[in-house]
Amino acid sequence: MRNDVLLSLTLIVPFLLLAAAGIVMIGGRTPRFTRAKAAAYLVALAFLGSIGILTLISSQGPVTVRFYDPASVTAFIIPIGFYVDRLSAVMMTLITGVSTIIYCYSTSYMYQDGHARRYLALICLTDFVLICMVSSGNLMMLFLFWQILSYLLYLLAHNHIHPATLAGAFKTFTLLRVADTAFLAGIALAYQLYGTLEFQELFARAAGTPITLSILPGMDISGTTAVTFLLFIGAMGKSAQFPLHLWLPGSLFAPTPVHALLHAGIINAGGFLINRLAPLFGMSSTTLHVAFVIGTLTAALGATMMLAQNDIKKTLGFSTIGQMGYMIMECGLGAFSLAVFHLIAHGLFKATVFLNCGNVIHKARQEPHFPHTDHADEGAGFSRLTWSTGFVTTLFIPLLILLVTHGVLRIPLLESQGTVIILFFIWITSSQAILTLTRLRAVASWKVSVIMLLTLLFIVFVYLFAVESFTAFLYPNPDEVASYFKTADLPDWLFDLIVVMAAFMTVLGWIYLYMRAHGRTIWMPAWIESIRIRLYTVFLNRIYADELYQFVGSMTAQLVHRIDKLERGWSR
Amino acid sequence: MTDVFIPWLCAGIPFAGALVCLAFWSDPYRVKMLAIISSVISLAWITGVANQLPTPPDGLLPLYLLPIAAVVSALGQPVHENHRLSWAMTLVFLGLGMAVLTSRNSVGPLCLISLMLIIMFLLYRHHTTLWPISWWGIGSFGVGVAGAALSLAAGPPISSVASLATCAVLLPLMPFHDGYLTALTRLPGSLPPFIVLLLPVLGLHGLATAMPTMPNEFVAVVSLLALASALYGAIKALAQSRVRLLVGYGSVSFFSILWWFVAGAHTATPRAAVLAGAVGLATGGLLVAWQVIRTRYGDDVDPQSISGLAAAMPKYAVLFSLLGLAAMGIPPFGVFAGFMGLLLTAPPSSTIGLFIALTAWLAASWYIMQMVQQLLFGARRPDLRYADLRQPEFTSLLIVVLALLALGLAPTNWYASNQVPNKTAAVEQSLAWNR
Repeated sequence: MRNDVLLSLTLIVPFLLLAAAGIVMIGGRTPRFTRAKAAAYLVALAFLGSIGILTLISSQGPVTVRFYDPASVTAFIIPIGFYVDRLSAVMMTLITGVSTIIYCYSTSYMYQDGHARRYLALICLTDFVLICMVSSGNLMMLFLFWQILSYLLYLLAHNHIHPATLAGAFKTFTLLRVADTAFLAGIALAYQLYGTLEFQELFARAAGTPITLSILPGMDISGTTAVTFLLFIGAMGKSAQFPLHLWLPGSLFAPTPVHALLHAGIINAGGFLINRLAPLFGMSSTTLHVAFVIGTLTAALGATMMLAQNDIKKTLGFSTIGQMGYMIMECGLGAFSLAVFHLIAHGLFKATVFLNCGNVIHKARQEPHFPHTDHADEGAGFSRLTWSTGFVTTLFIPLLILLVTHGVLRIPLLESQGTVIILFFIWITSSQAILTLTRLRAVASWKVSVIMLLTLLFIVFVYLFAVESFTAFLYPNPDEVASYFKTADLPDWLFDLIVVMAAFMTVLGWIYLYMRAHGRTIWMPAWIESIRIRLYTVFLNRIYADELYQFVGSMTAQLVHRIDKLERGWSR
Repeated sequence: MTDVFIPWLCAGIPFAGALVCLAFWSDPYRVKMLAIISSVISLAWITGVANQLPTPPDGLLPLYLLPIAAVVSALGQPVHENHRLSWAMTLVFLGLGMAVLTSRNSVGPLCLISLMLIIMFLLYRHHTTLWPISWWGIGSFGVGVAGAALSLAAGPPISSVASLATCAVLLPLMPFHDGYLTALTRLPGSLPPFIVLLLPVLGLHGLATAMPTMPNEFVAVVSLLALASALYGAIKALAQSRVRLLVGYGSVSFFSILWWFVAGAHTATPRAAVLAGAVGLATGGLLVAWQVIRTRYGDDVDPQSISGLAAAMPKYAVLFSLLGLAAMGIPPFGVFAGFMGLLLTAPPSSTIGLFIALTAWLAASWYIMQMVQQLLFGARRPDLRYADLRQPEFTSLLIVVLALLALGLAPTNWYASNQVPNKTAAVEQSLAWNR
C-alpha cells in the first residue's frame, strides 16, 4: 500500500509542475493572474509531494518506475523511467521548495510585465524538467532533460529585445552545448563499454569489467576514467566551472527570480550528476583529481573575481561560481555527500539573497546614500578584546574542531585526506570572513565577543553534526564513503603541501591584519604593490575571459568566411 | 499476385492524383486539395499494406514519411496558380519515390532515373536572377543518372561503385552534393521541402543495398569523404546568410554524418533511416517556415532585416523554434533519436571520426540557433506588418513537429523488426574504441 503511494507520488510530482505550466500558459489573457495563482497551489502541492517522497524513501528504500524494457534500452532511444532514491528525494524537495517561494514571489514581481505568463510557465516547466532530471531512471533520460535545461536557460533570459540579454543567452546556450557534447560522448562510450545506461547495472558492470583504452600510442586509460572524465566535462558546463563559467555572468540580465532558481537549483546539476554517478566516479582517482584541480581553481578565481566586482548581481554571480568550485572540489576529494549538503545550503542562501537583491537595487536607486560606506569609520581604534576574540575564533576553534571531529565524531582524519583538506579550507575561508568582520566592526564589548564565540561554536558544531548525519542518510554504508575518500587520495607530498600552505596563509593573513590594525608599517616591495594593482584590474575585468571568448568567436568567424570564399562554391 | 499489385498501387495512387489534378488545372485550390488528399490516401494505403511488403534493410519508415512530407509541403504553400505545377509534380515525385522503395526488379532504378531526369529538366527551366542556372547542380544529377544506368547495365564491382555515386548525389555527400543543394534552392513552389526528404531516403535505400558489397578499401575512402563532408557542410552553413543555403548545407553536414555511420557499419539499418528521415523532415519544415516569411516579405528576403517575430507571431515563433531545436539535434526529436541510435548501436569506427562527427553536430547549435534568434528575437520593427500563421501553414508546421516528436519517442520496432545488439555484444564491441 505504502509502496503504491510512493509510486503514485513519484509520477504525480512532475505531473503537477507540468500541469502548473499548462494552467498558466493555456487560455485567454483576462483571468491570467487567477490562473497564475492557481498554478502556485500546484507548485506548492508538488513540494508537499516531494516531502512525502522523502519521508517514504527514507523508510522504504529506492523506487523504480520504468516505461520500457531495461534489457533493450535502445529499443526506445529515449527510455522514460524514474529512479528515486534518497539523493533524488532530497533534490526534489530542495527544487520544489525553492521553486514554490520563487514562483509566489514572481507572481507579484512580474505583475506588470507584458510577458509574465510566458515567464511563469517557463518557471514551472523548468521545475518539471529539473524534477524529471533528478529522478531519471537512466543516463539517457537524465541527458535528455539535461539538454532541455540548456535551452530553457536560453529562454529564461526573458527580455529577448535587449541585445545584451540576447547575446548572454546565446553564449549560455552555446557554451552549455559544448559541455553537453562531451556528456553525449560519455554516454556513448559508457554504452559501448558496458552495454547499459541503467544506473545500478552500469555501476555493477564497470566494477566487474575493468577495461583499458588506448587513446594514443603508449597512453592508456581505464574505461571508467574515460567515461567519468567526459561526463565530468558535462557537469562542468552546468555548474559553471572554469573555463566554462563564462555563461553565468552573461546570463545576469535575466529577471532576478530566475537567478534565484538558477543559483539554487539549476547550477547544482553538476554536483547532482557526480553524486548520482558516485559509484562510477569512485572508481577513477584520475577524474577525481581533475575535479579537485578544476574545482579549486574555480573556487579561487570565482571568489577573487567576486571581490573585484562593483555590481551586486555580478558579485553574487561570481560568488556562486566560487561556491560551485568549492562543491566540485569537495567531489574531487571524495566528499560527495558534503557536496550535496553544500549545494543545498548554498542554494537556500543564494535564493534568499537573490530574491532580496531586487529590493536592494530598487532602494539604491531611490536613496542616494545607499549602500552606506562603512570604510570611513574603519581604523577608528585598536581593540585588544576584539582581536583576542578574532584570535580565538580563527586559530583556537579550528584546533577544537579537529579534536572533536577526530575524537567525538570518530572521523578517521589520518586516513581521510579529503576531510582534512576540507577542514583546512573551511578554516581559511571562515578566518577570512571573521577577520574581515573583526576589522570592519571593531566593537570592544565582552557581550559581543561572548555572543560571537558562542554563536560560532554553535553553528560550527551543528554544521558538523548535520553534515555527519546527512552523510549517514545519503550514503548509509560507511565503507562506501571511506572508499570514495580512498580513491580521491592525493599523493602524500601534495597533501602535505596543501595543508602547510593553508596553515601558513591563514597565520600570515592574521599577522598581516593584526600589524596593520596596530598601526605598524609593513614594508612591501614596490613590484608586489604594482602586481597587486594589476591583478585587481585583471580580476575586475574577469580575467578578460569574455574578451578572449569574443576574440575566439570572431577569429573562427573570419576563418569560416575565408574558407567559404576560398572554396569555389556552386552558387557563385 | 498481391506482391505485384501492392507496389504498383503504392506508386499508382499519387500518379492518379496527379492526373486528376490536370482535370482541375484551372482551379489552384482544387489542385492543392487533390495533392493533399492523394498524399493522405497514399499514407493510409501504406499503413494498411505495410505488413505485406518485404522489409528492406533500412526498414519501412521512408514509406510512411514520404506521404507525410508531401502533405506538409503542399499545405505550406499558399494557393496560387503559379504553384499548380509544383503540387502536381509533388505527386509525381511521390509516386516515383514509392516505386523506387517498393519495387524489387529493374523498375526501381528506372523510376530513379526518371525522377532525376525530371529534376534536371525542372532545374533547367526554373531559375531566377537571384538563383541563376546551376550547371554544376544539373551535372551532378547527370552523374546520378549515369551511375544508376551503369549499375543496371554493368556487373559487380562496377555496378556497386556506380550505384554508390548515385547514392552520393541523392543522399548528399561532398563532392556530389551540388545536385541536392541546387534542387533545394531552385525547384519551384512546394517541391524543395519535399525533395529534401525524398532524395536522401532514396539515397539511403540504394546505400542499404550497395554498401554490404563494397570492398573495405572503398569503404575507408567513403568514411574519410563523409567526415570531410560533415565538416565542410558545417563550415559552409556557418558562413551562409541566406536561409535556404544555411539549411541546405546544415543538412549536408548531418547526412554526411549518416554516411560515416553507414560506412562504419557496412550497412544501412532502420536507425539510419530514422536519422535520414528526421533530418529531411526537419529541413523540410524549416523550408516551409522560411516559405511563410517569403510569402509575407518577398522572395529571398534578408533574414537580418527581420526580427522580433516572437512577440508578433507567437504561433510561428513556437513552431519555428521547435523545428530549430529538432534540426540542431536536441531531444526529444527524431534527429537526436536517429543520431543517438546510431551512436549507441553502430560502434564508431574511430575516435577521431567520432570527434569530427560530434563537432559537426555541435556546430548546428551555432548556425541554426543564430538563424532562429535572428528571426524571432530582437526589437520589433515598426515598418513591418506582422501576420501570424494561417491555418494551413500552422497545420503544416504542426505536422512536421509532431512527426519529428514521434520519430524521437516511438520505439524503433514500430517500423523495423531488427533488435539492438544484446549486452554481451555491446561489451565485445567496446574493443572498437581501443585504437
